[in-house]
Amino acid sequence: MLKYTVRRLLQSLVTLLIVVSAVFLLMRLLPIEGYFGDGYDKLSESQREAVLQKMGLLDPWYAQLGSFYAGLLRGDLGASTIYRQDVPVLQVIAPRIPYSMRFGLVAIAIALVAGLAMGVSMAKHKGRAMDKLWTGYVVFVNAVPLAVYLLFIQLYMTELLGLPLLFDKYRPSSWILPALSMSLGSIAGYAMWMRRYMVDELNKDYIRLAMAKGLPRSTIMVRHVMRNAYVPMAQYLPASILMTISGSIYIESLYSIPGMGGLLVDVIQRQDNPMVQGLVLIFSSIGIVGLFLGDLLMALFDPRIKLAKSEASR
Amino acid sequence: MANGEAILEARGLVIKFNLRGRALTAIRGASLDLYEGETLAIVGESGSGKSVLTKSLIGMLDRNGWVDSGSAMFEGRDLARIKDERDWLGVRGKKISMVFQDPMTALNPLLTIGAQIREVFELHHGLSGKKADYAVIEMLERVGIDNPEERRRQYPHEFSGGMRQRVVIAIAVACKPRILICDEPTTALDVTIQAQILGLIKALQRDLSFTTVYITHDLGVVANVADRVAVMYAGRIVETGLAEEVFYDSRHPYTWALLSSLPQLGVKGKPLYSISGTPPNLFNEIRGDAFAPRNPKALKVDFVAEPPEFAVSPTHRASTWLLDPRAPRIEPPPAILAMRAKLGGSSTGAAGGRL
Repeated sequence: MLKYTVRRLLQSLVTLLIVVSAVFLLMRLLPIEGYFGDGYDKLSESQREAVLQKMGLLDPWYAQLGSFYAGLLRGDLGASTIYRQDVPVLQVIAPRIPYSMRFGLVAIAIALVAGLAMGVSMAKHKGRAMDKLWTGYVVFVNAVPLAVYLLFIQLYMTELLGLPLLFDKYRPSSWILPALSMSLGSIAGYAMWMRRYMVDELNKDYIRLAMAKGLPRSTIMVRHVMRNAYVPMAQYLPASILMTISGSIYIESLYSIPGMGGLLVDVIQRQDNPMVQGLVLIFSSIGIVGLFLGDLLMALFDPRIKLAKSEASR
Repeated sequence: MANGEAILEARGLVIKFNLRGRALTAIRGASLDLYEGETLAIVGESGSGKSVLTKSLIGMLDRNGWVDSGSAMFEGRDLARIKDERDWLGVRGKKISMVFQDPMTALNPLLTIGAQIREVFELHHGLSGKKADYAVIEMLERVGIDNPEERRRQYPHEFSGGMRQRVVIAIAVACKPRILICDEPTTALDVTIQAQILGLIKALQRDLSFTTVYITHDLGVVANVADRVAVMYAGRIVETGLAEEVFYDSRHPYTWALLSSLPQLGVKGKPLYSISGTPPNLFNEIRGDAFAPRNPKALKVDFVAEPPEFAVSPTHRASTWLLDPRAPRIEPPPAILAMRAKLGGSSTGAAGGRL
């Protein structure tokens, strides 16, 4: 178990390194005009060069990457170059982290409870009205672009329920709609996978044996079917965390929530490299931690995985 | 062994399935008695209804299937009339339990062996804590698993196929059933393990005195374990009798065909016998003897009227027009006659009543 954990941890680190380096290099491929915004024409050739020099963009790419990682080792992500000039990246991001995290966690909690319950009820009533109703929901959420239904929710639900249109940290009621919106996608995801895995399990031979033992249907559902369906489900926990976060990028700007999602869009457009790098590092860390936790959860649930010497068991 | 009381009496069971809006009759009026402490083997090719018939006795028909008519009396209750899932719980796994074909998939991979056996003790005997643990250990010992104290904490993937089948058997007999149904219990196992498993079931049957029903198409298994044999074809029991009666003095053409296809009866250098044609489509109404279209020596009447059941001896019955006094005399195929001669049975078929 320890070996497995250490292995996966090292693998996660390598993945993180690759993601961050890739984003770093991609940002360097953007046209340099972007760094000046509207001011490009107003500056002379030498002034522009001075700005780029200051940002360190004139060094060869490997030197830039090297100094970025050197800073990272010291815990220094650099300073914002454009968004809030010369303010350390961490200082810009830090106050925004709690908002994103809180919304994300609330949304995931809602999604877990509602999604799993929905999946269980679909599996239990497979092929009947309840199943079809929830399947309709899943198809809707997956088929309709999220911008469309999220906007509709913001416009009509606020009016219908008398909730605030924009986020206001002093009004608890303004939390409801954004958190709910963020969970809609994950609910559909959880429900779909839970249904699928439960139906899979229900058709397995050991369920027949459990029935032949004379166990009541409810006991079989809880002790055998649901438990076993959680194992493959554990894999989707990280995916749903990622989905919640990526969903939040749009939702945060929709409700003017001062979180990290809206910020990322902003700083990419303005080519504030250190800010982008910092945010990507945080987002990918969350995702990778999620994947890692998913693997650990699976190993905890499934006794067969502990023994696995390689990834073959996945 | 077969001299006990009848503990289960099935009469004229008709079982239907709804497949995409069409009704399929899987069991077309099957009657069967089970006697205290005996071993009955139900044989027949795939699709003959062996599994469906036994599944109906523990209320485990697939959702689209139902018992249309007939009765199955067991301990004063008609199993064919139980509709509510809750009513089955007093019978299934408690009075009648079942061992399935494939031990590799029959156990829950995420629960320890001990936990899976324990469920039965908790459910049917109300045991808990240490008492349940001891019961589990004793049961594992009983089915021949060494080191039960440790083994019970292990998961199915740590057991071999034969060992898993022993665990499945332990689960099935843990409730001290009156009837144990074994659905092809050895088909998925190595030949060497097969004999061990059959031996284990026999030994448990002796100790716990339950009635065993084997569902199989392995006639070798039948010869090995069965007191009585029921031959099924197209949803009906066409011949039933003591094992020696069915092997040495069979009367139904289908039983002849089935026995002729035993590889042991083949002659070296000649292709093995196989029954031509396919079983009838159970969606359609079957007229006359269902086997007639595949029977080269079928009588005219076989295509028109259904044969009634004739008693050959008090224990031996067959549903074929050949037993009607008006029927012409038709000899069993040479392979059957050769087998009878070789094994010292009657070759004339006249001494059917001999026990």
